[in-house]
Amino acid sequence: MKFIVSHSPHIQKKETIQKIMWSVSFSLIPAGIAGILFFGYHALLIIFLGTFTAVFTEAFIQILTRQKITIKDGSAFLTGLLLAYNLPPSVPFWIPIVGSFFSIALGKQIFGGLGQNIVNPALLGRVFLLASWPKYMTTFVKPNFNLFNFFKFDAITAPTPLSLLKEAKPIGVTYLDLFLGNRGGCIGEVCIIALLLGALYLLIKKYIYLYIPLTYIGTVGIFTYIFGPSGFFKGDWLFHILSGGLILGAFFMATDYVTSPLTTKGQIIFGIGCGIITSVIRLWGGYPEGVSYAILIMNLSTPLIDRYTKSKIFGK
Amino acid sequence: MNITNFISIFISAVFVNNVILSRFLGLCPFIAISKETKPAIAMSFAVSFVIFMSSVISWCIYRFLLIPFNLIYLRTITFILVIAAFVQLVEMIIRKFFPVLYRFFGIYLPLITTNCAVLGVSLLNTDMFFNNGKALTGSFYYSIFQSLCVGLGYTIAMILMSAIRERLELCNIPKPFKNFPIAFVIASIMSMSFLGFNGFKF
Amino acid sequence: MKNKFKEFLKGLIKENPTFVLMLGLCPTLAISTTIKNGLGMGVATTFVLIGSNAMINLIRKIVPDKIRIPCFIVVIASFVTIVELIMKAYVPILDRALGIYIPLIVVNCIVLARAEAFASKETFLNSILDGLGMGCGFTLALLLISTIRETLGMGTFFDYKIKGFEPIFLLSLPSGALLIIGLLLGFFNFLKEKKG
Repeated sequence: MKFIVSHSPHIQKKETIQKIMWSVSFSLIPAGIAGILFFGYHALLIIFLGTFTAVFTEAFIQILTRQKITIKDGSAFLTGLLLAYNLPPSVPFWIPIVGSFFSIALGKQIFGGLGQNIVNPALLGRVFLLASWPKYMTTFVKPNFNLFNFFKFDAITAPTPLSLLKEAKPIGVTYLDLFLGNRGGCIGEVCIIALLLGALYLLIKKYIYLYIPLTYIGTVGIFTYIFGPSGFFKGDWLFHILSGGLILGAFFMATDYVTSPLTTKGQIIFGIGCGIITSVIRLWGGYPEGVSYAILIMNLSTPLIDRYTKSKIFGK
Repeated sequence: MNITNFISIFISAVFVNNVILSRFLGLCPFIAISKETKPAIAMSFAVSFVIFMSSVISWCIYRFLLIPFNLIYLRTITFILVIAAFVQLVEMIIRKFFPVLYRFFGIYLPLITTNCAVLGVSLLNTDMFFNNGKALTGSFYYSIFQSLCVGLGYTIAMILMSAIRERLELCNIPKPFKNFPIAFVIASIMSMSFLGFNGFKF
Repeated sequence: MKNKFKEFLKGLIKENPTFVLMLGLCPTLAISTTIKNGLGMGVATTFVLIGSNAMINLIRKIVPDKIRIPCFIVVIASFVTIVELIMKAYVPILDRALGIYIPLIVVNCIVLARAEAFASKETFLNSILDGLGMGCGFTLALLLISTIRETLGMGTFFDYKIKGFEPIFLLSLPSGALLIIGLLLGFFNFLKEKKG
């Protein structure tokens, strides 16, 4: 047996950025299909508008500033896709457009483009939308799984399990529902099994490593177990892991190469930090969900973590 | 006086109403000195120290001097004078007795006199923990705790910012946005992320 | 006469305290949520600037060089206290909206910077004109930022509701203020580059 211990950036293989970006987008397809099946054509429209605007904005800014157009590398597409996955299926059509524009223009291009951004652009876009139009961003619809009702979009509002928990109302969703995605939520976050399928693909391909997702999800589990609503060590940790955007965030957004630490040690700190902030916001914060804020705050701390976990130059 | 109040003061002062990112106090040095980590840390320690000491002093003056003699309208003048005198004194003491420390953060001390954060916290303490010229119960403890938390919030924002800006040195930022504009955009992103702590209830 | 006019005019654009000198940003960002607040803050600061510039110009020869800064601060603080008391008496709503940012005019760097750099060296009339110009420049910058923030962030203009527009609420939050000033500074840099 031969082990190769290495950490990102994994350039030693013949993988280009382009290939990685498109593979990540590819691995997100099952979750997208699940979202469309649950929420109807409106979800597909949002995904299309989000990705299209992201790619268009990238090209537009690059033409305007006379740079090489790099939309083929798939990173803008991925940003738009992730942003759309993080939107409730009932948002008006202009929300993904404005959000994608904000993500690309102020999350990425203002810092100089690919590889230079300090936070995950898709999450920045989502947080911007959530702060600007909370009305749309916190209204969720009931999933309606039926292969034949693709064109039927009935907007029966249904709060997410996490917001029901926050308001101390009965949740009425089984673990199986959570696992399969039969619950209110954002387009891409609901179907856990589809997300895990995609994550497995990325893990086998060695595009992502388990350090961040495992520490992140583990911390949330332990934290919510300890600080249960009815006393210490009585929390419903499985519910917290399966609900909200935790799986989507932990596998697909917290692992972003550019905005997560370089060393293994740094990645573990990053994951634990994300987990603590997510749980704190979920348990005591004003918002029902804290994944995007947690990842953003840890993105901002990444340069600091890197600074103190970097291996020292020998002899210095 | 109970523990919940202290926790909400902590969350409010460090994250939700962070001095720099939400109240915009002490913004100028935040933008100007956050280009490198070392001076940024030195500056934030100096500021935290001065905030703490001056809020202790100004609380005492407000409680035992201004209120009994009915001189509340002199609050602004008194506070700024006390802070200026105190900073001057600290600078002299440090220069004389701790030359190493002086080299570390002494040069930032004169700047701190006109740092809005210092006067701002003293004013906030008197606004929040006095009611109609009477100190609330535990007002003194709340005041010093709040000043400590504000200092912590200042330090956190400053250190994060300086580490990010050190990384930006390697980035290919569009020319008009180099330096100050991008620093404001980053501060905005930080402020946006700290929104997650809004509405905190313990 | 033309010279005098120049002293006034330079504060508006060429040496605009907010966008060019980057002084006194704290109140600019904190209270620019509505145009009314911005205007109130601008007028209050202008008053303090004119008053302190004039006063410091008059006493500049009596004050020993070594303790000039504390003296300047006392003069400024006195004018700020006057403003504070006037506002409390006549515009209590505005006073409450601006909160601690009124007493904080004392540490607004513009005021001390103009006292130190201009009023303690120039003639009386020039000092007053400089104070007026800088104050107007500051007010102008405040109006620009608060107009953007109120119309886009709250969907109102001087409290009149704009119809058919869903306001970008973020812009009336603190992070919106930081974002706008960052973008505006970048935009002005861009213009300068293009010109020069």
